[in-house]
Amino acid sequence: MSANIYHNRKAQWLAYIGLFCLLALVPALFDSPFLLNQLARYAVFAMLAVSVSLVWGYGGILSLGQGIAFGLAAYGMGMTMQMQFQDPVSDPVPSFMLTNDLSTLPLLWEPFWSTPIGLALTIAVPTIFFIGFGAMMFQARVAGVFVAIMTLAMLAAWYAMAYDMQPFTSGFNGISPPMPFEFAGVSIDPYSPTAYLICVGFLAALTLSAKLLMQSKFGLIVQAIRDDPERVRFLGYNVAYYQVIVFAISGFIAACGGLCWVMVVQYVSPTSLELTLSVSAVIWAAVGGRLSLLGAILGAYLVNGLQSYMGDELQDVWMIVLGSIFIGVVLFLPRGLVGLIEDALGYFTGKSETETSGVAIERAV
Amino acid sequence: MTITRRSLIKRSSALALALSTPAIFRPSSARAQPWISKNGTIKLGVLFSQSGPLAVVENDSTQVVLFAIDEINANGGVAGMQVEPVVIDAKSDVKVYSEKISQLILSDRVISTIGGYTSASRRAVAPFVMARDHLFYYPTCYEGRECTQNVICTGPLANQHSQDLIPFMVQNFGKRVYFVGSNYIWPKESNKVARVWLEKVGGEVLGEDYVPIGGSEFAPIFNKIRQANPDFIFSTLIGDSDVAMHKQFLSEGFKADKMPIASLTTGEIEVRAMGAEAGAGHFLSAPYFQALDTPTNNRFVEKYLGSKYGGGGVTHYNMEETYLAVYFWKAGLEKALAQTGDIEAITPRMIRDASGGVTIGDEISPEGKVWIDPDNFNMWLRPKIGQCQGDGQFKIIKVADQHVGPNPFEIYPDRGVCKADGLHTPAGAIQKGVL
Amino acid sequence: MSVTDFWTPFELNSFLNALFIGLSIASIWLIAAVGLTIIYGTMGVINMAHGELIMLGAYTTYVLQTFFYIPFLLCLPLVFIIVSIFGLFIERTIIRRLYNRPLDTLLATWGLSLILIQGVRVIFGTAPKYVSIPSWLNFQVSLGFLHLPGFRLFIILATAALIFATWYIAYRTTWGIRVRAVMADPDMASSFGIDSNRIYSITFAYGAGLAGVAGALFGGLKTLLPDMGSGYIVEAFLVVVVGGTQLLGSIFSSIILGELASIFSYFTNDTFARFVLFTLIVIFLRFRPQGLITEGMKRR
Repeated sequence: MSANIYHNRKAQWLAYIGLFCLLALVPALFDSPFLLNQLARYAVFAMLAVSVSLVWGYGGILSLGQGIAFGLAAYGMGMTMQMQFQDPVSDPVPSFMLTNDLSTLPLLWEPFWSTPIGLALTIAVPTIFFIGFGAMMFQARVAGVFVAIMTLAMLAAWYAMAYDMQPFTSGFNGISPPMPFEFAGVSIDPYSPTAYLICVGFLAALTLSAKLLMQSKFGLIVQAIRDDPERVRFLGYNVAYYQVIVFAISGFIAACGGLCWVMVVQYVSPTSLELTLSVSAVIWAAVGGRLSLLGAILGAYLVNGLQSYMGDELQDVWMIVLGSIFIGVVLFLPRGLVGLIEDALGYFTGKSETETSGVAIERAV
Repeated sequence: MTITRRSLIKRSSALALALSTPAIFRPSSARAQPWISKNGTIKLGVLFSQSGPLAVVENDSTQVVLFAIDEINANGGVAGMQVEPVVIDAKSDVKVYSEKISQLILSDRVISTIGGYTSASRRAVAPFVMARDHLFYYPTCYEGRECTQNVICTGPLANQHSQDLIPFMVQNFGKRVYFVGSNYIWPKESNKVARVWLEKVGGEVLGEDYVPIGGSEFAPIFNKIRQANPDFIFSTLIGDSDVAMHKQFLSEGFKADKMPIASLTTGEIEVRAMGAEAGAGHFLSAPYFQALDTPTNNRFVEKYLGSKYGGGGVTHYNMEETYLAVYFWKAGLEKALAQTGDIEAITPRMIRDASGGVTIGDEISPEGKVWIDPDNFNMWLRPKIGQCQGDGQFKIIKVADQHVGPNPFEIYPDRGVCKADGLHTPAGAIQKGVL
Repeated sequence: MSVTDFWTPFELNSFLNALFIGLSIASIWLIAAVGLTIIYGTMGVINMAHGELIMLGAYTTYVLQTFFYIPFLLCLPLVFIIVSIFGLFIERTIIRRLYNRPLDTLLATWGLSLILIQGVRVIFGTAPKYVSIPSWLNFQVSLGFLHLPGFRLFIILATAALIFATWYIAYRTTWGIRVRAVMADPDMASSFGIDSNRIYSITFAYGAGLAGVAGALFGGLKTLLPDMGSGYIVEAFLVVVVGGTQLLGSIFSSIILGELASIFSYFTNDTFARFVLFTLIVIFLRFRPQGLITEGMKRR
């Protein structure tokens, strides 16, 4: 095997931990609430990209429906925060409901009086939905393009639902909880270092656990299924079981992203269930490198950073640049930007293996 | 810091906490820094979409704000200082609205922001604007039902729009109406209010249909309309749906003189997009029309269309409301300055509080005299009814006899009354920041 | 909200008319999807920029009409040719490199769609444009209680004509036999001397041309905006996948989906109709991922 340091597990862990330490240091270095909030948003996008990297890069399942988990969780969090604002006695029903012909709180909203139950539902509902949806697809051995189309249709269905059920979701206008999220008596200002560190903490914990999982036997089987599901099936493994689990984990990660998202923006609308967001997440992962969780994170930070900082100067051409970058990456860098790093490191530290397929198991970081 | 926070939390009510926590994290230097510094310029945030689907309307909004600021600066600025617009493209994405409002307030330190066309964008920026006690001008029509202390709206509310339109249509065409709207809150609310006016004149709603925003398939709805055979259609469709409906109305064989569309949205810009033959004969209720024949408006139209900002070729109500927003901001700032005397002491909230009752007279306002309601900070205006002609311009049929006041909770009397300090509920409580 | 507010009361005549309208909706879905069916069915390329090809067709019509004063009917073949040439260009520069990576075509064409939307926006501006339809199409067909605008009828007929032409090319010409041979087994086909690359190029161009014609027709129904195509892509894909990526399957699936959409929106509203429809499609694909109709041949 090659001695490329890129494939050295110790070096990989060092890189991951180094990155997260760097991210955690940001509040100490910059005293700018705006920057912290912006970077917290990027961290949320990075979670979404990690979820794509896991399910697509490692699991070989191209899901265009990561926004389902993200959006459902975002609504859960939005509802939790809205109910924190309401008062059980004097003002029990959110304002937008009273003007939508609801005079009492709908049953769907009742559990969200309690913040812990609200948070639990925020994470559990999308995850369980992904288990059910995944089981439905993978037991029927749906694969490849069809998964992409089915997740796309499901996303479109949820979008229509969030949009149409106006008395419950405030429709297109969305829910804007008037107050920051409060947990255990502490109010978490979206522009504070606390909110930022929570987002980065989520990102780090989810990414490192995912990496650990992908290095385990379970992870190896998942990657083997990606490379050749038939062969794994013949070896006696229940392929659908592994696919459902990895799909559900990706849903869980996206749901955590949705939770943090509403915490830092204090707003949720059907746009989190739009196709654009889900495809963008795929773009971030692909640009950074879907075969590497770290790559996906870098992709999310890079593309969004470019969008924020370059967009203002070159408004007219931004979309063209983004589209071109994306086509370029797909055509010439199928392993994303980290593929370049891999080659560079291989050049300096050992024999590079770029000639062989980019999806060999040992390549996955 | 932790100890201060904990003890603070115990002492304050939940809302006071929300407002005060940010201050803890704000560096002390920033707190002392004035919003307007004497040697600089006055910064005004301009947050509209210049790309994406909303750009169709919001591009004109940006242009007219820049036009108004040029005008103000050429006439000596505000209190002798030049106004500097900080223009940001919101890319038709609510995520960008919510990100950029914080950039405008925290990094650019604008004194106020003008922006938004959809309620979604207003609601996306509202939590942050409220948390920082800043000021946001929302320059277009919306549904009302909100009572916040940090937003000033210069468009008509649902209760101002249809008050004259519905009786007018019933009188001239008949009592049987079909409602068609885009599927979101503003159309549903407008229809709810229109129902109230309709009941007063003995009208009847034959059907109510909503299409998704951007939806362009109207065959099923026209099928139902043909079955119901109403006297007129009341439309609250927005954007391309509105255009598509008018085009298909024509191709379905309906006639504007038999069953006209009475709309709250189909202005000059929409008619230009659908072609004048599709718009001709239909009605619009709005506070402003390009064809309004007053010296101020004629001057405004000529000057605007002749300027480098007038590339769009028409003026329309949304644009004029945006223009007014800039002048209301100027008037509010000047009044606040007269009260305090020190421009460096002025905060966004002072401008808001000073804006109650501020009037813009005939000599500036193209639509005629308007003023800000001192209780709910929406605008008093005179709605007008126009009929679209073959050249794409409107003929003004009726002007309201007197100004109509905004009432965000008109059809929800049991919610309470919106006053400057919050929503006064019947139970005697005052709710702040009702979104 | 009471039940009567939500559900339109049933009335036979207008319900029958709703079925009739379903056909009209189906023709729109079908013409939007037929190019995609051919491209996906033949090449396995998932063209996310298909909606933007439709948009280009509409804008091309606008340009031909407004600046060259070309009558609407003559615009249709011209649009077909122009968008085909553009399709050929895309195939040569981007798609060709991705034949072994179907999922990557999805991503690359998504990037392409961003470029096309913004490109058109930069060139034509954000203000909406419109295509005017000839006045002789401004008639209504009324058969008793059935009503159909002339332009809708025109779209139905145009769709039928294009489908027939496509069927004829695919099943009655040597060219079509070659295409189907490549679909069935590219390796075997090339060993018989068929240049599969050339087949792919022409097929993609043909599919793109069909999308362009669809755009020209849609221009008469709605406004032209740079992002008008994104509204069609989800529906078009569902038609293709539900149909089983065959021409016949797409016809059936668009009729079924169009009818369902019309019936649902007759009883409830349009938005809720979409929710029900999409959910039904997901469930359908669960039990029949191969789609409605399979030719019993294996692709790839």
